[in-house]
Amino acid sequence: MSQLLSVAGSLALWVGSALLVAGVAIIGPRRLYALWNDLRERLWEIRRPLAALVVVLLASAIGRSSLQTVSELFGLQLTWAIYALEGNFVAWVQATFASPRLTMYFSAIYVYGYVFLLSFPFFAYLALPRTTTVKRLIVAYALNYAIGLVIYTIVFAHGPRNVMPEMVTSLLFTHNPAFMALTGEVNEPANVFPSLHTSLSVTVGTFAVLTRREYPLWTPIAAWLAISVVIATMYLGIHWLTDVIGGTALALGAVYLSYRLVDEEGEGDGSGVVGDGGDGDRDAEK
Amino acid sequence: MTRQISRRETLAGVGVAALSAGCLGRTRNIAGRDRSSQLTLEINAPPADRDPNAIRIARHLAENLNAVGIDARINTLGHTDLRRKVLINHNFDVYVGQFREAEPFDPDAMYAFTHSRFVAEAGWQNPFGFTDINGVDDLLASQRRTEGDERREAAADLQRALAELQPFTVVAFPDPLTAVREDRFENWTNRQPLSVGGLLGLERVGAAGGDADGSETGNETADGDANETIDGNETDEDLIDDNPLTDDETDDGDTLRLVTTDERITQNWNPIAAEYRRYGTFTSLLYDRLALVDGGEAIPWLAADWERTGDAGIEVSLRDADWHDGEPVTAEDVAFTYEFLRDTAMGGTESPVPTPTFRGRVSAVEAATAVDDRTVRLTLDGVNDAVGVRALQVPILPKHVWEERTDVATIAGIEFDAETTEAVVTNNEDPVGSGPVRFAEATPEESVAFERNPDHFLVRDAGGGSTDGADADETDPLAGIPERFRGKPAFGRLEIEVMGSDIAAVQAVGDGLADATVSNLGPDSVPRIGREADARLVTGESGGFYHVGYNARRAPLSNPRFRGVLASLIDKRTLVDVAFDGYAEPAASPLAATPEWVPSDLRWGDREADPTHPFVGESGSLDAETARERLREAGYRFDDEGRLLAPST
Repeated sequence: MSQLLSVAGSLALWVGSALLVAGVAIIGPRRLYALWNDLRERLWEIRRPLAALVVVLLASAIGRSSLQTVSELFGLQLTWAIYALEGNFVAWVQATFASPRLTMYFSAIYVYGYVFLLSFPFFAYLALPRTTTVKRLIVAYALNYAIGLVIYTIVFAHGPRNVMPEMVTSLLFTHNPAFMALTGEVNEPANVFPSLHTSLSVTVGTFAVLTRREYPLWTPIAAWLAISVVIATMYLGIHWLTDVIGGTALALGAVYLSYRLVDEEGEGDGSGVVGDGGDGDRDAEK
Repeated sequence: MTRQISRRETLAGVGVAALSAGCLGRTRNIAGRDRSSQLTLEINAPPADRDPNAIRIARHLAENLNAVGIDARINTLGHTDLRRKVLINHNFDVYVGQFREAEPFDPDAMYAFTHSRFVAEAGWQNPFGFTDINGVDDLLASQRRTEGDERREAAADLQRALAELQPFTVVAFPDPLTAVREDRFENWTNRQPLSVGGLLGLERVGAAGGDADGSETGNETADGDANETIDGNETDEDLIDDNPLTDDETDDGDTLRLVTTDERITQNWNPIAAEYRRYGTFTSLLYDRLALVDGGEAIPWLAADWERTGDAGIEVSLRDADWHDGEPVTAEDVAFTYEFLRDTAMGGTESPVPTPTFRGRVSAVEAATAVDDRTVRLTLDGVNDAVGVRALQVPILPKHVWEERTDVATIAGIEFDAETTEAVVTNNEDPVGSGPVRFAEATPEESVAFERNPDHFLVRDAGGGSTDGADADETDPLAGIPERFRGKPAFGRLEIEVMGSDIAAVQAVGDGLADATVSNLGPDSVPRIGREADARLVTGESGGFYHVGYNARRAPLSNPRFRGVLASLIDKRTLVDVAFDGYAEPAASPLAATPEWVPSDLRWGDREADPTHPFVGESGSLDAETARERLREAGYRFDDEGRLLAPST
């Protein structure tokens, strides 16, 4: 327990400072100041997508263990299929590139970089004069989680470190067992497809490319971090290449749907559509 | 795939021609045959986080199967799902797992495991669907009934038959590795560190004379540790100072903290549930048995004593004991337990619903009757003494709790499966046992806590017994109980926390957050123990051999020749070196932990390969062509790409 607290504490500290620095450098003092003055109204404007995200996260937190049971009993056991599809790719990645330095880098990226990557755009887009982008981002996050949860329930599969421990070292946990306490709180080992780390990172990366005019500095940083997270999931032996491809597809789908759901013009109109974001999720399944 | 299409085209296109040509009969003869396809075998094993060794065995086998042209697929499943699939539903091809006995065991353990009378039952009884009526069945029966050399001979022949027929392939007996720290509890034995006896034998560091039994234990314990303890003036508070994060230190001082990767004990406390029990150590602490085996010796436990009466009876006198809810333990409870385990429906269903564990043990008892409040007479099924004593090792259940659980199990009032009773499927929340610990609290999948049972005879009677000399009545209430268990357990509370992996578990011990690991440690975590200053590696001997089980209900696994070839694809020696990092003993016989029963032709010794089905190849690398040749000799065929064709079923 104390292990968990110390990791969570250092995570908050590091990501908090990174957000501060990046906020000043990328968003700029002017916009931050405007955001500060305008914060309440903007949050009120995005209340519906925000509520949708909170609902999805709560549902995931509460329902996860029962969905996990459903998955165990009725899910498709597909570990063998994923392995048959891609073979020893992840083992090859580790055998070819693994070095202590890279392990440190990717471990830090997987935990710290990932949290920063996900939280920064929220502030950055909230600081934009129009709230359309931040709404889309939140909707895309919610879609990622919601669809991911459904697929997790359908597909029961373990990651490479659990299947071929003699070839794929569980690098993150071997070198930083404390991280396990943290990620163990969030992740089920039998939920590997799709990789939510990948899908959320690629979502942020895609948004960064789409908004490159607003934050030209953020685009290369986000792209770098997103690609690093994607590689980290495999390098650390947590995910299969198949999960990463699935995660990327989920991300692109979520971004596309978020653009469909939140319209550019007419803010009130847009949020009206987002209001039934739940339906949108279900539509995405069909 | 292309061939299949071409067959259809042929059928459609040539149909008319065939009819007109008058060779309809020939077409039917060809088209009516089932076409062969490649044989697929699914190998079920727990993921590395849950069992770091089993998946390595599974992958080793899968690789070699693929090399000889069989499509092997690894299916990773959690412990509970794996057990349900294999033991309950029998819906598997091949599995990798451990035998359920923690300690070296009597040959009769094979009775339930391989006797054909159990093929239709769910649980630890013959999950393979293996039948060898004239061989194994006879030998199993005769080792039960004979004594001395005759029994030895039957047991030897039994092992030879099992080695020949391979309902399962014994891979290795793992060393039960445990990372422990000794700054709070000591006396970790090198025999069975985490058995009931091992846990009860622990001593608190610095508990000098605190308990009435302190001096007694000090005199008795063989190694000098206990004496040092008594001389030492350190108090608990000093010793746990390195762990400042725990807020109430006094409470923490006598808590034994264990870590495991096996979450099952946090969800279910049913002593007979086959899916949820690994060795049943903690449920054995909750539920006393009549006899407790410690280091190969049967200790009278809940039974004060027993004696054989006549040819077929054992008369058991009980100790004075209470259930955790305050009710007294009576002979009636014991008689009920034996009847109940034989049929958990107590006659309420068309056919009996026997217990999924301990089945072999209760099958040795024909009837159990309460003679008076404290005496039970067990009528044995003509079995020898050893098997009779084994029959005393089942958890004794309170009648007033379990007689309510004899109905057919339902979900929301709907009968799901008439073959299951509530007793088999219940999670047994708030278990009421009579054992030295009782249930305190649990957070499913995270942790569970037990507390010392102050009313247990080990504690209650220890005080009375130590008033030496003045002891008026001559009978010691703890007669037969070794000194090291008297007044135990030494811990006031036992906490088990679930960790994400064996590495995290070892780390927790190294960091002082736990006193010992419970679950299996893999080759990646063992070296870590050496690097942690306060952690020490303790090992002992185990009965829980790793094996590859085959579903003999399914062709071609039904063919002992085929299973024999599969057995010869497993390089036990290399697996022990690589997958177990040397912390295991390769074995040919399931009884290898008790070498006195193993005939010399089946002992492993310095062998490089199995004596009956030696590995086809040299130290790790398979000779696939020879293996294929064996399969051809056994009557199996390959297509031109070297794929083994599944025989039509």
